[in-house]
Amino acid sequence: MQKIELMAPAGNFESLQAALDNGADSVYFGVEQLNMRARASINFTLDDLPEISRRCQEKGVRTYLTLNTIIYDHDLSIVKTLVKCAKEANITAVIAMDQAVIMVARELGMEVHISTQINITNIETVKFYAMFADTMVMSRELSLRQVKKISEQIEKEQIKGPSGKLVEIEIFGHGALCMAVSGKCYMSLHSHNSSANRGACKQNCRKKYTVVDQETGFEMELDNEYIMSPKDLCTIDFLEEVIDAGITVLKIEGRGRAPEYVANVIKCYREAIDSIENGTYSKEKVIGWMQELEKVYNRGFWSGYYLGQKLGEWSKGSGSHATQKKVYIGKGVHYFPKASIGEFKIEAYDLSLGDTILITGPTTGAKEMTVDTMLVNDEQLEKGIKGDSVTIPIPFRVRPSDKLYKIVENKVEA
Amino acid sequence: MVVVTLQRNKCIGCNYCVELAPEQFQMSKKDGKSVLLRSQEKKGFFTLKSPDEAILDPCDQAAKACPVKIISVKSV
Ligand code: SF4
Repeated sequence: MQKIELMAPAGNFESLQAALDNGADSVYFGVEQLNMRARASINFTLDDLPEISRRCQEKGVRTYLTLNTIIYDHDLSIVKTLVKCAKEANITAVIAMDQAVIMVARELGMEVHISTQINITNIETVKFYAMFADTMVMSRELSLRQVKKISEQIEKEQIKGPSGKLVEIEIFGHGALCMAVSGKCYMSLHSHNSSANRGACKQNCRKKYTVVDQETGFEMELDNEYIMSPKDLCTIDFLEEVIDAGITVLKIEGRGRAPEYVANVIKCYREAIDSIENGTYSKEKVIGWMQELEKVYNRGFWSGYYLGQKLGEWSKGSGSHATQKKVYIGKGVHYFPKASIGEFKIEAYDLSLGDTILITGPTTGAKEMTVDTMLVNDEQLEKGIKGDSVTIPIPFRVRPSDKLYKIVENKVEA
Repeated sequence: MVVVTLQRNKCIGCNYCVELAPEQFQMSKKDGKSVLLRSQEKKGFFTLKSPDEAILDPCDQAAKACPVKIISVKSV
């Protein structure tokens, strides 16, 4: 079995660090407006590229810049600027959809990956894009059997990318699925003038709808009113088959997600990939990972189309089915490195001994731990409340830019 | 007097404002973001003050259409 690359989403420095700390082999991210998460209030800027590159190179992690929206004429020069800056900052590759982006990247000598937005579903298309790209994301609509056929064909026909190496196949392993063909949805453009194909999806498919017969006014009864909101893709329980399909890169969706989401999902998939490599992958482990994955944002899980063309499975609600949630408590104030003690100011709720806390920050990433001992305003107390200053032994550095949360159970409606 | 403001750095360059109010907005070829013509900048906010009430309507439409809601229009 070949070694596969685990690719993590990074929407900001918190998530980037979480990905690096939990074993990602590569990360993908967008800067400025031309990426599928352009709307997100958190987004990297051009100036962040060198820092992203530095942090990743330190760990030998590859970096991919997503530049995969539709491109207008007025975007052409910013495309050039983005690719140029990415190259200068030593970013590994650009993930592209538009042919203009592919051309610019090739002209500037930048490695290209073909985005899922292109929807590659057959070997001839692979051959076509092999003229420009070394790695291609397969369409989410393919079954694993079809993916396997394509990867076998690449090997057989020796289809190589510009680097001279065999074309590599990437697929999505975990995260949200779209009701439309990726990157080709008009829903939020119609309802809110907010084009998904420009990275401004309003996620209307995640809402509840009723179907009404206009002639009679009869409302169609639907078993599940969230008819356009698919459950999230999860492949951890059949990851051996996924890897066996000949893929090289397993991509995790979620650039809009919180850092603890990235930490949790990457950690689980890292362990799963490693255990397949060393032969310790087991049913028991899968059960454990599933429980971990359910803790963070999810709409319920299913296997997508990979195991055959079964009908979509729709989520039962608009929100998350996560079994845990975080509650904001306060912020980092100071760290005493010699004693390994972190000081926090409580700004909301309270914090008690035994609580599980989550600390997130641009350099800290997302780290979880249990509070075993703490001082509240320099006194040994069991509980700190709003306004208190608490100090807790913490094995890693705490910064003033860090946020402190506590993890609590999330009551999920079935 | 019509006052139009554009918080330019958050623009995703979708071009809708230009379609709806071409006299007031233009896409920059340099960075692909919208430019509010004849406006003055202060801390990232570009403001245009115009005595021409006729621009109110198209600018209003542009503000409504903008997916990131960074255009504001007032008649004072
Ligand atoms: S409508 Fe808004 S986001 Fe779109 S180009 Fe105009 S200002 Fe930018």
